Amino acid sequence: MTLFDPLLDVFRGKAVTIPPLDGALKPNTILEDAEVIATVEAPDNLAELDGHLIFTTGKEVRTVADGKVIWTGPSEITALAVGRDNTLAIALESGGIRFIGRTAAVIQGFNCPVALTFASDGALYVCNGSDAVAASAWKSDLMSKSARGSVWRVDPRSGERQCLAANLAFPYGIAVDEANARVLVSESWRHRILAISFAGGEPQPLLMKLPGYPARIVSAPDGYIMSLFAPRNRLIEFVLLEDDYRSDMMREIESQFWIAPSLSPSRSFLEPLQNGGVRTMGIHKPWSPTRSYGLVVGLDKALQPTMSFHSRANGLRHGITSVLFHQGAVVAAAKGGNAILRIAPSEGEV
Amino acid sequence: MAPIIEMRKMTKAYRGIPAVKDIDFTLETGEIHALLGENGAGKSTLTKIMAGVVEATSGTMIYRGREVQFASPHAALENGIAMVFQETSLVPSMTVAQNIYLGEEKFLNRLRGIYISAQQFLQSLNFTVDPAATVASLGAAKRQMVEIARAVRHKAEIIIFDEPTAALTPEEKRHFFALMKRLKRSGVSIIFITHALEEALAQADRITILRDGELVASGLSAEFNREKVVRAMVGRALSNEIYNVQRAPENIRKRGAKILSVQDISMGNTVRNNSFSIFEGQITGIFGLIGSGRTETFKIVSGIHKRDFLRGGDIELDGRKVRYNVPAEAVRDRIIYVTEDRKLEGFFETMSIAENFYSGLLSAGLEKSAVISFREMRALSAEWSKRLNVKAINDNARAVELSGGNQQKVVIGKGLIQKPRLVIFDEPTRGVDVGAIAEIHQLVNRLADDGLAVVVISSYLPEIMNLSDRILVCRQGRVVEEISPLEATEEKIMYAAVH
Repeated sequence: MTLFDPLLDVFRGKAVTIPPLDGALKPNTILEDAEVIATVEAPDNLAELDGHLIFTTGKEVRTVADGKVIWTGPSEITALAVGRDNTLAIALESGGIRFIGRTAAVIQGFNCPVALTFASDGALYVCNGSDAVAASAWKSDLMSKSARGSVWRVDPRSGERQCLAANLAFPYGIAVDEANARVLVSESWRHRILAISFAGGEPQPLLMKLPGYPARIVSAPDGYIMSLFAPRNRLIEFVLLEDDYRSDMMREIESQFWIAPSLSPSRSFLEPLQNGGVRTMGIHKPWSPTRSYGLVVGLDKALQPTMSFHSRANGLRHGITSVLFHQGAVVAAAKGGNAILRIAPSEGEV
Repeated sequence: MAPIIEMRKMTKAYRGIPAVKDIDFTLETGEIHALLGENGAGKSTLTKIMAGVVEATSGTMIYRGREVQFASPHAALENGIAMVFQETSLVPSMTVAQNIYLGEEKFLNRLRGIYISAQQFLQSLNFTVDPAATVASLGAAKRQMVEIARAVRHKAEIIIFDEPTAALTPEEKRHFFALMKRLKRSGVSIIFITHALEEALAQADRITILRDGELVASGLSAEFNREKVVRAMVGRALSNEIYNVQRAPENIRKRGAKILSVQDISMGNTVRNNSFSIFEGQITGIFGLIGSGRTETFKIVSGIHKRDFLRGGDIELDGRKVRYNVPAEAVRDRIIYVTEDRKLEGFFETMSIAENFYSGLLSAGLEKSAVISFREMRALSAEWSKRLNVKAINDNARAVELSGGNQQKVVIGKGLIQKPRLVIFDEPTRGVDVGAIAEIHQLVNRLADDGLAVVVISSYLPEIMNLSDRILVCRQGRVVEEISPLEATEEKIMYAAVH
């Protein structure tokens, strides 16, 4: 970089670049080949209750093993967490967080709660994706380029809450790092993982320039596991630079047809060629550009990627929104692929 | 069939050291004769004696039944012996047609007539070269074609090709071999110096192998196979050592820290949104067909080419954005690029080995004294010649006098002197003999073992598969696939490269 490069960048247009999927993120087909432990429509947040896997789908919380409905909410469930005393914290599309268990409180005031986690002291940490839109309108939030998300610490008993960080671009995942008295938050629209102290303060970026939009992040024996619900794409990055085009698109076209990240490959005849739908000699190329993808990344304690599981452009297990380490295996919920998958971590070592 | 040329006890010595010694060689009329040997084996010297480029120290040459000795290449050409050199002898500023007719100009020349005649002649050879194009604007393959056309035009009875296929694409090679067969049918005898053993075995009628200036084997090509040729060339069975190594998981190096991240770099139509990362302590193999943008991508990385001015992408070295305007800036950041075209870009051919090594030190600004220190130069040269096993008469030998493999070692040494962290080898073993290939491979492996980030760009699949700890496949200006050497097969890599 010369001294003049920052000046020249004004004229030549600052490049928006997408980091490659290589090294620990080298593409494979592990997610595509993974064991399916449940086939269910749009499974979302996974959690462990009393040693059993549970997940959210639509308005329900169910068990993975037999699909038994544990709880049904008044509106779509957007996030789930289980406390040490087996208290369930359930976030709803309507905005509230309900506690099922010892406390049966309801906390209102979150517009878009998309990730929850309990700390060892019983406090609940909440990612409020945006204070402008509901969780289901995440595409609008991305396309309006807003940064109105926040991270909160909530006392389930008193309902008292404290904002730890604001002006975040859709915080979509949260994990507690007790040893360092901080939470790790995946800031989706800025493609990075932040560390936020329990006491609040300026978030510290720990892992940046992810090649996709990070979703939930959880602790694992050797570090963390993170899901990325969609890949970054040059076309989408371009649309994000073109304000007039984007506002016209948002005003005139239904959101499912926007040039925006997607949880699943399009099957609509109105969109016969999603970016990744390019075929050559009858074969769908796995390296095609795509708006949806399946990606789970293993991170070490320093938040550096160590392994990854993929479902590529030609696969179907896309839109992984939640992961969990359960009984020595990684369990992933493919919201776009309508399946819950189990993978041995050793498969992802590269 | 009577031999058209016969050499008896041919010897050529430079400063008392024989380059070829007591060689008996015969070339039959209308045969394709492959001449094989390691770099420095004496192949070029032997053929240069035949073509009048150098004069023999002793021995006799019988051509068409009478003893001859050519004083110059022109004399040899007059007698029907033409040599097509590895480094072409064309005039870059003149057009193709002018080069073909060079030396035959009339007092008054009609340029249009020359172009029409050259066009017809090139078409008859199936060469798609524009006769009005200047030679400087042509690629290596097309220059080679013009050189061949010139030899054919002189109605040579013996044509000597020195590494003719090194710069050709597979398609061009097919054309070249067809041409060779056509020449053979019309009675032309061909000597074909090559390092591509498969080409020699498939195309030649007879094979002669030289080692250390002596003839070690000669016979019909049907009597040889790859193993036998290699054993004769190097005196040991090397091919297994080089190319048939089975990669076990424990032999694949784990990646170290990410040193280089290339994101969406673009340069015209050659490099298009190319993204990849390079890690320390690993050899990253880059495979792609001609035109896949491999070389251009790494020339951008090392500051030789410039990416697009508008939205040309990002290159990050250790997380820091870099945009090199000249290669010296990359060298300062300890990135070196070892070129695929060593003759043009790799070394100063009229300078000595020592001066070439020292020039590497100077360009990195690592010299110890403010003025040129001949003592430092000598010490440096002695150290690196020993380390890289450069075979030369002495350090004062000019780079141009060295064999291809030793020239390549000088180019590599010139780069390594700059204490790099990232070494980019572009076709490191092109035009290099088997013995030197093994040495260069060992060196590349040693660099990665020492923790350096190493990139090897190669068109030769076995080389990529045997050296790389990870393989990136390029197609149409970008990396399209990453393949682990454990799962790599030639078919799989080629599929990604073309599909």
